Amino acid sequence: MATYFLRRLLLLIPTFFGATILVFIILQLAPGGPLEQTIRQIQMGGMTQGEGGSAGAGDMTSGGGAGLPAEAMEELKRFYGFDKPIIQRYLIWLGVWPREHDSRNLEFGPGENEVEKNMGRGQWVTVKKTADGYVMYNDDGSINSDWLIRPLDPAEDGAARALVYKTKLSGILTGDLGTSYTYMQPVLDVMKPRFKISIFFGISGFLISYIVCIPLGIAKALRHGSPFDLFSSVIVFIAYSIPGWALGAVLLLLLGGGSFWDVFPLGGFRSENWEYLSLWGKVMDQLYHAVLPMIAWTIGSFATLTVLMKNSIIENMSQDYIRTAFSKGLTEKRVIWIHALRNSVIPIASYIGNVIGVLLAGSYLIELVFNIDGFGKLGYQAVLDRDYPIVMGFLVIAVLLRLIGNILSDIALATVDPRIRFK
Amino acid sequence: MENTATVDQAATAQQQISLSVLKKRWLKFKSIKRGYYAFIILITAYIISFFLPLLINNRALVVKYEGDIWFPVFQGYIAGSTFGEDVPGEANYRELKEKFRSENGNWVIMPPYPYGPFEDVTTAGNKMYEEPSGVHWFGTDNTGRDVFSRLMYGFNISLSFAILFTIASYLIGVSIGAMMGYFGGKFDLITQRFIEIWATLPFLFVMIIISSIVRPNFFLLIVILTLFGWIGMTYYMRAEFYREKTKDYVAAAISMGQSHKKIIFKHILPNSLVPIITYFPFAVIGGIGSLVGLDFLGFGLPPPTPSWGQMVSVGLQNMVKWWMVLAPLGALFTTLLLIVFIGEAIREAFDPRVYSRLR
Repeated sequence: MATYFLRRLLLLIPTFFGATILVFIILQLAPGGPLEQTIRQIQMGGMTQGEGGSAGAGDMTSGGGAGLPAEAMEELKRFYGFDKPIIQRYLIWLGVWPREHDSRNLEFGPGENEVEKNMGRGQWVTVKKTADGYVMYNDDGSINSDWLIRPLDPAEDGAARALVYKTKLSGILTGDLGTSYTYMQPVLDVMKPRFKISIFFGISGFLISYIVCIPLGIAKALRHGSPFDLFSSVIVFIAYSIPGWALGAVLLLLLGGGSFWDVFPLGGFRSENWEYLSLWGKVMDQLYHAVLPMIAWTIGSFATLTVLMKNSIIENMSQDYIRTAFSKGLTEKRVIWIHALRNSVIPIASYIGNVIGVLLAGSYLIELVFNIDGFGKLGYQAVLDRDYPIVMGFLVIAVLLRLIGNILSDIALATVDPRIRFK
Repeated sequence: MENTATVDQAATAQQQISLSVLKKRWLKFKSIKRGYYAFIILITAYIISFFLPLLINNRALVVKYEGDIWFPVFQGYIAGSTFGEDVPGEANYRELKEKFRSENGNWVIMPPYPYGPFEDVTTAGNKMYEEPSGVHWFGTDNTGRDVFSRLMYGFNISLSFAILFTIASYLIGVSIGAMMGYFGGKFDLITQRFIEIWATLPFLFVMIIISSIVRPNFFLLIVILTLFGWIGMTYYMRAEFYREKTKDYVAAAISMGQSHKKIIFKHILPNSLVPIITYFPFAVIGGIGSLVGLDFLGFGLPPPTPSWGQMVSVGLQNMVKWWMVLAPLGALFTTLLLIVFIGEAIREAFDPRVYSRLR
């Protein structure tokens, strides 16, 4: 069994790489990426300031960046990492290829072979161009090896240019998801507060649906065919056919105070003055905001879980061991709660892993409807903004959660059902 | 899911001992009233929805003008000046009808519900945010388009989309799943790994990424959705084929020298239809859900296609105009509920496990 799970864990690795490579390629090769978007913004900005034609007009060689000086184009490309081939970009993103940072441009005057450059913190260096490359000297004449230099395309007037930079290994394997383009913050810092919100909904939704569905499924199974069963079946049917976000939209419309009753707030995670509320006020405010999204969140698994539980109990109740238990003279209570239930929760257990995946994946629409700044909405917004570091970070976390969820399902299954032996 | 209708199966089986399995299942399906009626209602509504231009349209069915007879519904765009109307662009048939009422010999026959899904405030007489009334049954939206009309056209689009999507993803899913189960070995192993990667991707998220890059139309959107939709069926098909290929009739077919293709499609597939048929309605539900979700996010069908998701999305920005949200969502719920009923009945007809309870 241990070897089985070890193998499952090892299989995570190729799956993870496969999934990230796929999306990475789609993102990087797609037209209209962050580079094009920034160029467009700059051009539009230039236009509104009435100087659209002045800067580098006539430079039509740079393709998409028409109207932008070649050097600015180059800088932008470097900022977004598009100056490197795609494989290298992926490796840098992974953190197994050195990432350039703190880069500065050097420009040699016409005929000059030496340039002085301020590297910050009062450190001046001299870069000399020699026949086989560039050499950097400190103030005291010693060779500086902290910085790396590579040549850039010469400027339009033929002057030589070079880039001075440092490198470090920094990518997802070292825990660095990069820096968001829109928030200008490390991706993880952007995600953290939103992650908390999604986890709040995910975990409480998970608990609520299990607390409601298991007893409901049992009750329905024991009273199979009764008015209670038929009535609750209708609710289950409706719950099954309605997407959670759509139900949320209806509830919001009916109870959010738009045209009908004003019972719940129109969305948001907490009130704006949440910080200043008393503890009791905080709890109530949180609940007040959470009721409707929570219903939307749980409705999807509600139907599936209830029916799973019901059918599972019914199936077990027709088994021989239940007949034996009854014929031994055990009470119905004991037969159901001790004998049948243990076997009936097996299929439910395998559902646990799903919840972890759903924790994130199913939530964009609900978060959008209720205007909750959760994880899903962040991912959605990042796609709109072409904020690729966040998009990739979102993907990494979503993929990892799903993979781990699958394994958790198996572990739960093996725990509940001692007959199951994974090989 | 449920097991409500109890049919005396033994008696039925005895009476129709000569019936084929499929026929028996059809009879069983018919006996489950909820599902059967839902099926009839949905099929009727879907067939009618193909004739919507004749029923719900701003173009007249027939126009008689100066002795000539016109059929604008079939002829398409006809300039208003053709009928002596003083409007820019297309004729306004509703106004024309009023005008002709007093004229001798000229007349207009409008469809029963004379508002089209595309005409907005630019057509004379249309207003934004009109409340539901006898004229506009479900009111008008933010651009003055008739909500009821868009709703009905959206029904046809949603259902057609979902059915085509399901067929497309089943074609791929069944073939690949069948090959995985039938051939096994390396092909199975490699495809399984690939499917594992594919299935790990957050489906809606990648859909959003792709749709934000290529502005999809109806068929492109089906292709994109199918890229992800085919996976579910492979699991069932693979299991079915693994089981079936060890059976004697397959061995017989192989020993007779039948080709792989024939064995897969002619011998095994007819015996593995149960999951295909029973999951079909639920895949259609998934298709509608995905389409409406994508439309809601703004990554679905291009405007001004009448789509429920887009209607909800606009409606939620105008919370006081309740009809703009309730109408499309009501249509969505009704449609999905009907399909769930059908799906349940089909499942019950094909999977006749009778749950018996002691005591």
